[in-house]
Amino acid sequence: MAEVILKEVGKTYPNGFNAIPAVDLHIADGEFIVLVGPSGCGKSTLLRMVAGLESITSGELTINGTVMNKKEPADRDIAMVFQNYALYPHMTVFNNMAYGLKNRGVDKATILKKVNSVGDMLGLEELLDRKPKQLSGGQRQRVAMGRAMVRDPQVFLFDEPLSNLDAKLRVQMRVEIRQLQRKLGTTTLYVTHDQVEAMTLADRLVVLNKGNAEQIGTPLELYERPATPFVAAFIGSPSMNLLDAKVADGVLSIGANIRLATDLSFNKNVVWGIRPEHLECLPESAPNEDADFILTVQAVESLGAETLIYGTLEGVETIVVVRLSGPHSPELGSQMKLKAPSAKWHLFDASTQQRL
Amino acid sequence: MNVTFPHRALPWLLLLPQLAVTAIFFLWPAEKAVEQAFYQEDAFGLSREFVGLENFIDLLTDPYYYESIVVTLIFSFSVAFLGIAVALALAIMANRVIKAQLFYQTLLIWPYAVAPALAGVIWWIMFDPSIGPVAQWLKFWGIQWNHYLNSTDAMILVVIAATWKQISYNFLFFLAGLQAVPKSLIEAAAIDGASPIKRFWTIVFPLLSPTTFFLLVVNLVYAFFDTFGIIDATTGGGPGQSTKIMVYKVFDDGFIGLDLGSSAAQSVILMGIVGIMTVIQFRFIERKVQY
Repeated sequence: MAEVILKEVGKTYPNGFNAIPAVDLHIADGEFIVLVGPSGCGKSTLLRMVAGLESITSGELTINGTVMNKKEPADRDIAMVFQNYALYPHMTVFNNMAYGLKNRGVDKATILKKVNSVGDMLGLEELLDRKPKQLSGGQRQRVAMGRAMVRDPQVFLFDEPLSNLDAKLRVQMRVEIRQLQRKLGTTTLYVTHDQVEAMTLADRLVVLNKGNAEQIGTPLELYERPATPFVAAFIGSPSMNLLDAKVADGVLSIGANIRLATDLSFNKNVVWGIRPEHLECLPESAPNEDADFILTVQAVESLGAETLIYGTLEGVETIVVVRLSGPHSPELGSQMKLKAPSAKWHLFDASTQQRL
Repeated sequence: MNVTFPHRALPWLLLLPQLAVTAIFFLWPAEKAVEQAFYQEDAFGLSREFVGLENFIDLLTDPYYYESIVVTLIFSFSVAFLGIAVALALAIMANRVIKAQLFYQTLLIWPYAVAPALAGVIWWIMFDPSIGPVAQWLKFWGIQWNHYLNSTDAMILVVIAATWKQISYNFLFFLAGLQAVPKSLIEAAAIDGASPIKRFWTIVFPLLSPTTFFLLVVNLVYAFFDTFGIIDATTGGGPGQSTKIMVYKVFDDGFIGLDLGSSAAQSVILMGIVGIMTVIQFRFIERKVQY
């Protein structure tokens, strides 16, 4: 069990590319932290730096108080699950799991006991004599996790472990990973680009953008109070509607025609956001003055339990999404009267990109 | 895949050039050799007499022939082992080179383009007891080198020359094999606490085993049948019988000793060996060495 602390940890490649400027992160013992961000944001690099597979060029990484910057991966007492599982193809499932223990000089009887107990826990009892190529994707995934668990490490590192599985299995494994982590209580760092995976697994999320931690917080904090437009757009599906706007003299104006009354006292350019599920649809009979704006419907996605309506606002280029529960079937090109309750607004400073 | 031809003769017509080459240059001489093996011919090729299996009986009771088999085995396995080991070491190093990787790889592949006889001559000059730089250098260290007189020296010389030429070929296969090993496997092994040497022997080398076995067979075939030029240009089978491998003995007995019957009988035995090796190559390479 371990506490992992990243103090201004950064990475600059020899060619001068600054992949990760400086990340500060304090992971409490037993916590499940998910690193999430679009591809190329540096999340895998950061994970590999914790693992010791990439060097740390600035800052300090400590696990349980010990500085790990210069330690070999084997000496950090971590275990990693790779995206492609990285099972040793010429070894049986048993030997795959036993390899790390053998290398550490654990005696045969203990190895047998440990591998068998982890095998039982993951439902691999019947498969211990098989080679990886005789296993299905989900089974390989389990073996990879078993290999990590059997050593009883201080920290689990997961590098997009579910991205090679089909959608159904992914959901199932997601639940299993969460349950196992709770049961074992091992500090975990998990990388994914899938925000649903991130939201469901994490105790706390780290949203990375170009190597910077844009925001660190619980899934709900990030959903309710995103610190930047980037986080706002990344967390939640479909994404938050974000529009350039201007606040002046108690009026928020979007584009040329939309004017919303507000009690904001400052005057500045802002990014105005509202989640698709927070937009309210007024009945057709409602007077136009009641609506905050009129949406011209361009596309409708009916998902049964909910309906996503895509359209444009007068004088605004950006497509706006509305999420309504239950089935709806507005005609394409028809107009919808929408209300955007001000309690659900998200406002960001247009120049600093910070939440107001 | 099934292809339908408009006329039944067309596929045969298309195969004809290759079949003709095979028949004229392979099947016909092979048939002649088999026939020859049962005759005793005079030195001038004017008359011959059917002797049945006598050529084979002579051969199998001839201690020189057994000596040649032993020499062939020592030579072939030395060449195969040395060639594979050195090529693997070079491939590992070339795989680690980051700058100018292509340059190194190109240089390492070049020896393959050198003609066998030339390869032999290069090493023969290098090791020549009076003018060879390597021989001089050995002498400096107090080692007397003379492959004209010393059987062991002669064997070492032909093994080095034959290996040198084959290393490039092995190197290419090993390099491709190494590059096919997923990096994440090595990383997983590193996290699993295996030292670099242990990682190589427990992960990389087993994954290369299909390549290694393939090269073992190919190199043995090479050393058995393709090294005539090297032997002829360096030691000529000598001193005595010490580097006279079976293929060289076929030539030596037939064209120098003019015992065509025995030479043909030896060829027939070699044909049998080629057949067995081909079967091994096709049977086991695909199936046995797998993970």
